[in-house]
Amino acid sequence: MTQSFNLSTERSGLYDVTAMAEEALEASKITEGMLLVSVPHSTAAVTVVSPWDERGFEDINDEVNRLVPTRIDFKHQHDTPQDAAGHIKAAIIGHSRMFFVSQGKIGLGHSQRIYFFEFDGPRKRTVQVQVIGK
Amino acid sequence: MISNLDSYLSQIRSLSSLLGDSTMRIEANVRTALTTPEIYGIRQIILTGSGDSFFAALAVAAALRGWTGLPVHPMVSMEASRYIDHGRAPLSGRNRGLLAVCISNSGEAARLVEATHRLRSLGAITLAITGDPESRLAKAAEKMIGISIPSAAPAPGTRSYMASLIGLYLLGIRLAEVLMCFTMDHAGALRNQLADLSKPLEGLSDVCEPLIRETIDAWGDFRSADVLGSGPSFGSASYAAGKLVEAAGIHASAQDIEEFHHLNYFVDTPESVPAIVFGPANSLAIQRTRELVATLEQLGRPHLLVTDSGEFSPRRNVLVLPRVDELFAPILHTVPGSLISAFAAARRGVPHYRGHTGPWRGAKEAALVRNSPIDIQTR
Repeated sequence: MTQSFNLSTERSGLYDVTAMAEEALEASKITEGMLLVSVPHSTAAVTVVSPWDERGFEDINDEVNRLVPTRIDFKHQHDTPQDAAGHIKAAIIGHSRMFFVSQGKIGLGHSQRIYFFEFDGPRKRTVQVQVIGK
Repeated sequence: MISNLDSYLSQIRSLSSLLGDSTMRIEANVRTALTTPEIYGIRQIILTGSGDSFFAALAVAAALRGWTGLPVHPMVSMEASRYIDHGRAPLSGRNRGLLAVCISNSGEAARLVEATHRLRSLGAITLAITGDPESRLAKAAEKMIGISIPSAAPAPGTRSYMASLIGLYLLGIRLAEVLMCFTMDHAGALRNQLADLSKPLEGLSDVCEPLIRETIDAWGDFRSADVLGSGPSFGSASYAAGKLVEAAGIHASAQDIEEFHHLNYFVDTPESVPAIVFGPANSLAIQRTRELVATLEQLGRPHLLVTDSGEFSPRRNVLVLPRVDELFAPILHTVPGSLISAFAAARRGVPHYRGHTGPWRGAKEAALVRNSPIDIQTR
């Protein structure tokens, strides 16, 4: 069963959705298996980041923007420059992440949490979580 | 035989379905009209046309200004053609920052075609908003937004004015969206808000007709009128005044609500010069509108107030429309603005455009505005 969670975002940035994944896992009653976090958006992504220094989030945002600056001459011109850049960023980062589940816990290290990455906000977004196993 | 009045009412009553059917179709044309680099190169916008096209520019300018933050100048086609540079050498390269939006449903108004040629030669981005892709205007401009609509029974331009408004509003939303003045979600919401105005438009003519007919009858044989409004409603006032001239031959003047207090306040036969006021309650000029109503009553001028608030009721001379965003009010104002002239013409028993006969025969087939020689020489 897929569980969906709502999220309101600002123009860009990282949003901790680990609690959503943990809530979905608990509801599933599964203790051994796999957990998938996915987003149904073409200008957003899912990634794993260390939560301990907030300035690290700025680094990631800055570097992604350095790799794919918002320009006015993208070939995709149907919407806005930020949207066009967002498609590229989302394609690079990826729209989902898979984690193992063991002893009822998500396979995350001490310095890992799961983040929704917004590239074209502010928007009302959705985060989807599916758990399979026993 | 269908009378002038029947044809005119038919057009007015069709505005709701026109808006509902045309908005997203025209939006598809707007979205591809300008590239993102071209939009980011815009430093100022001219909206130019003549007659109804110019009135549409007046009606929408405040919205474009507010949405984009760019300087937006409504300009009659003579000024856009002959007086925009007035002898100065073209500011080559820098003129590319000028977006000239050239509006004409027929695409054959000579002065506007001339303006488009000259502005294009000066380096401006020329964008035609027209219903005829084969017209002289469409060919003179670098780019085009098509606003063709199904034809209807002949009447003073009503549906074509609405099409111009739709094209201009959608252009403004698109420019602001690409410039990221607001989000794509907000842009989509504005487009839906525009299209959804078809709902308050539906049946609006039936609601307005009794009071407007009664008001025109009460005003008797008036030969001149002031039509007043500010901001977007000045566009509505200009449109309504234009229709009174075209349809009924009445000498109607459009004036800003503030300017009235400086100028037409001093008309020396106040009891025989009615005033029509477009005053939405959420207008930024509402306080001055309240003062104006008090002034008109003190002058003893017959008047009709077109508003969307019950604060002026109950009065026999107040027409209350559904409330919409002030920037979109000209859409709804098209209905009373047209009905006033429709009933005025019917009461006077005069043909629209004087039938293009007698002294007015020169205007047959729009010859006066289409055949004026085009002069594109720079000075």
